[in-house]
Amino acid sequence: MLAMHMANELLDLPTSALTLALGAAAVGLAIHRLRGQLPPEKLPLLGVLGAFVFAAQMINFSLPLLPGTSAHLGGAVLLAILLGPSAAIVVMTAVLMVQCLLFQDGGLLALGCNIINMGVVPALAGGWIYRRLLGRPESAGGTRRYLACWAACTVGVAAGAALVPVETLMGGRLLIDARDFLAVMLGLHLVIGLIEGTITSAVLGFLARVRPAVLGLSAPPSQTTPRSRWDRLAMPLPLLATALLLAGLGSWFASAHPDGLEWSLLRGGEHSTLAQPTGLAATIDRWQKRWSLMTDYTRRDQPLGQESAQNSSPPAVQSAWPNPDGWKSLAGLVGTLATLAALAGISQVLRTRRHARHADHAP
Amino acid sequence: MHHSHIDKFAQQDSPIHRLDARAKFLAVLAYTAVLVSYHRYALLELAPLAIFPAALVALSGVPAGFVLKRVLALCPLAMMLALAAILYDPSPRAVALADWRWTLPGGVLTAGNLAAKFILAVTAMTAVMCATPFSLLLEAMRRLALPAALTLLLGFLYRYLFVLSDQAMRLRRARDFRGAALAPMSRRLAASGGMIGSLFVRTLDRSERVGLAMAARGFTGQPHSLRRLGFGRGDVVFLAAVAVYLAVCRFLLA
Repeated sequence: MLAMHMANELLDLPTSALTLALGAAAVGLAIHRLRGQLPPEKLPLLGVLGAFVFAAQMINFSLPLLPGTSAHLGGAVLLAILLGPSAAIVVMTAVLMVQCLLFQDGGLLALGCNIINMGVVPALAGGWIYRRLLGRPESAGGTRRYLACWAACTVGVAAGAALVPVETLMGGRLLIDARDFLAVMLGLHLVIGLIEGTITSAVLGFLARVRPAVLGLSAPPSQTTPRSRWDRLAMPLPLLATALLLAGLGSWFASAHPDGLEWSLLRGGEHSTLAQPTGLAATIDRWQKRWSLMTDYTRRDQPLGQESAQNSSPPAVQSAWPNPDGWKSLAGLVGTLATLAALAGISQVLRTRRHARHADHAP
Repeated sequence: MHHSHIDKFAQQDSPIHRLDARAKFLAVLAYTAVLVSYHRYALLELAPLAIFPAALVALSGVPAGFVLKRVLALCPLAMMLALAAILYDPSPRAVALADWRWTLPGGVLTAGNLAAKFILAVTAMTAVMCATPFSLLLEAMRRLALPAALTLLLGFLYRYLFVLSDQAMRLRRARDFRGAALAPMSRRLAASGGMIGSLFVRTLDRSERVGLAMAARGFTGQPHSLRRLGFGRGDVVFLAAVAVYLAVCRFLLA
């Protein structure tokens, strides 16, 4: 799926230094752990698997319901499942570094953020959840593997994406409201997680048949197991769960804003024509404000000079945000279910018509 | 098959090519850091910073059209950010150039600032990458205290990147020739899973073979390179010039 590499412009220098240091520490730890597991001459061979990630991202898959768009694999969770989290972190780091250096995909200063968001977090969270939900590989069926894959990819990808607003907020470079940004990123990545989970589970299904050893199986699963009712539920279940999560998120988001237009007017009213502070004194001043802001930033009543127009949303909106009475959530859920049913009906109709047309054309 | 090799100009010769890879890497890093440190309404202040990427492109002999095409290909994301800025920040701000003063919405200034920063950073990075072979860059990173395991791994990644991309392209072409677009969704999904899965199996086998072949030639996990990096007087002059230039841009002209 569309990779969300962060650009340099979303960060400031302290944040990028901090995230680079954190990313470097995580990668160093992963390399240290790998040294214990692999002989030294085998470690560089992981680079070939990094090239595999690039190649696998070229195999695209056109999406249903969204004509014209296509998805591809991210890869971190798949690698974490197949090779373990340490190897996945190291391989994804190499992939992100090449993407940054050779293809200029993601900024040089944002490399630390990208390693954390798209490598470390998905590999750790996704790998852990997959192992937790799968149980023993021998006894897990295809349905259970699919559900574990979906959960691992959704949580891994969404957790990484949720860090983007946090990192941007730390640098004070956020143009839009942090919670709006968070809601949009989470919503987008719930969908991406569903797609990633589905493709990952298809890959794992193939590998279970062809090369069971990489999944920790001793023999390929027998082909003769009868399909139970549970198996037929397997495909729609994550779809439904993703839709419900999206609906919950959407109504939470909607309850935050009394009215879109009114809200934008509220913002536009607060014009700030302050002159920019310049010089060394201003720089030191900004640093001080930044560090005091990081200890408790919600209480800051006068934000940093030029960011004032963005961060000062009125307190009424803030307190109304996490809507405690769940009515809007319920309405959102019901609406989503209805929309989903309508979509399923339409696609069913379209499919039967298309099949009929193909049947007509066949001689 | 055809790839748009980013480093197809890396083997040429020019003053930029002859510089030490460490000097070039550090210069671009410093340039990017200075670029990012400007506040979000800075637009005219960024103008002198365009000299560095322009000089890199001109001196390295990389065709400007090639660099421009790469920058344009990467632009959509930055343009999305810039558009968001225009929509979210209508507060008026004063802009002054010599005697002229006028006011613009802050969002427009921010959008211009974001776009300028993005284009300048990508141009500088592309120019340096076009003037540095990847192997020398890896050697430089190793000397700059990156773990040898990681740089070696990056070398392997780069070596097999285009080999495996070819393989993936062949798989994709085979799928498209067999009319995959007409298949129902579940079949297409299974086909994608099979393609990526078989690519993974082949990659595992390939890395096994590569490992055996390298072990047979006495590889113990240590990198060996005939190419030597030399940090000469020219590199010191280059780094000093870049430092002075950046300091002048940031503290005297801004």
